[in-house]
Amino acid sequence: MRNDPSVIDLVERARLGDARAWDALVDRYAPLVWAVCRRFGLGGADAEDVAASVWLRLVERLDTIREPAALPGWLATTVRRECLTALRGRKHQVPVGDESNLDSVDDPEFDELLLAQERHIALRAAFDNLPEHCRHLLTLLFDDPPAPYAQISSSTGTPVGAIGPTRRRCLDRLRRDPTLAAVVEVERR
Amino acid sequence: MNDAEIVAALAEARRAAAEVPERIREIGRSAYAWRTVDAELAALSADTDAAVGTRAEPAAVRALTFAARDLTIEVEVTDDALHGQVVPPRPGEIELRDRTGVVAVARVDELGWFVLGPVPRGMFRLHLRAGDAVVVTEWITI
Repeated sequence: MRNDPSVIDLVERARLGDARAWDALVDRYAPLVWAVCRRFGLGGADAEDVAASVWLRLVERLDTIREPAALPGWLATTVRRECLTALRGRKHQVPVGDESNLDSVDDPEFDELLLAQERHIALRAAFDNLPEHCRHLLTLLFDDPPAPYAQISSSTGTPVGAIGPTRRRCLDRLRRDPTLAAVVEVERR
Repeated sequence: MNDAEIVAALAEARRAAAEVPERIREIGRSAYAWRTVDAELAALSADTDAAVGTRAEPAAVRALTFAARDLTIEVEVTDDALHGQVVPPRPGEIELRDRTGVVAVARVDELGWFVLGPVPRGMFRLHLRAGDAVVVTEWITI
């Protein structure tokens, strides 16, 4: 994954004491932390302990991060290690099944999870960079089934005939996001 | 990715983010207050427990080593306390801190020895002041 200039900027600002930049980093990576916890079957207070430890480690690493692109990989590995520690700690009370593959360094499922999370992160970041009208329109289209054009039209003030072309322009804009382009194949149909 | 695929992928990414419990984010935001800008970080460089792969026979006494640039803090975990030594030896003061703050303070003697107790449950770190050195270890859970 290439270096996302916005992450470099956030890390730099958080380093200098900008708490809002730190909050943005937390928002960006919280789903990754949670997804790895879930993969190890941890939720509730266990996941919160793991998250607390991981966030604290990230805080103290702020000054030494050289490659923001490596952050998701570092985070995923750190969460995994903390999850395994948590599972070992309660092994005497609760059977956790076969851990042998969870502990393995060579874990294709884990690599896949990390790739999927990196894709999610890039997608959300690219979406957040879209202009407000694009975000509004696309949000309405996320509904399953998507909201009818007549309803979208009255909600966005876009004439029904313009919704299709606007949607296409917004998605094209999304595809041009350089960080997203690096993690997903965004060729046209 | 065609238009439909990219919309579906976006929707999924946003749904995944919405499923994260708010507590996970809150804990993350509050972690920023723990930023230490005045102390040098001592990273965990050795852990007898982590070194043993399958851990069929855990080490009798767990020993941890935290390394800063000019000194190391060595800690042995017994049932009732953390027994440690600052190497090279230098006198000072060492604090045991958990997420709530300072929970114990001990003197580091001329030989660099210190004892901190009781053994903390949950995550903790050590904060050392010795001469002009201010060192904080990374967080660890025993």
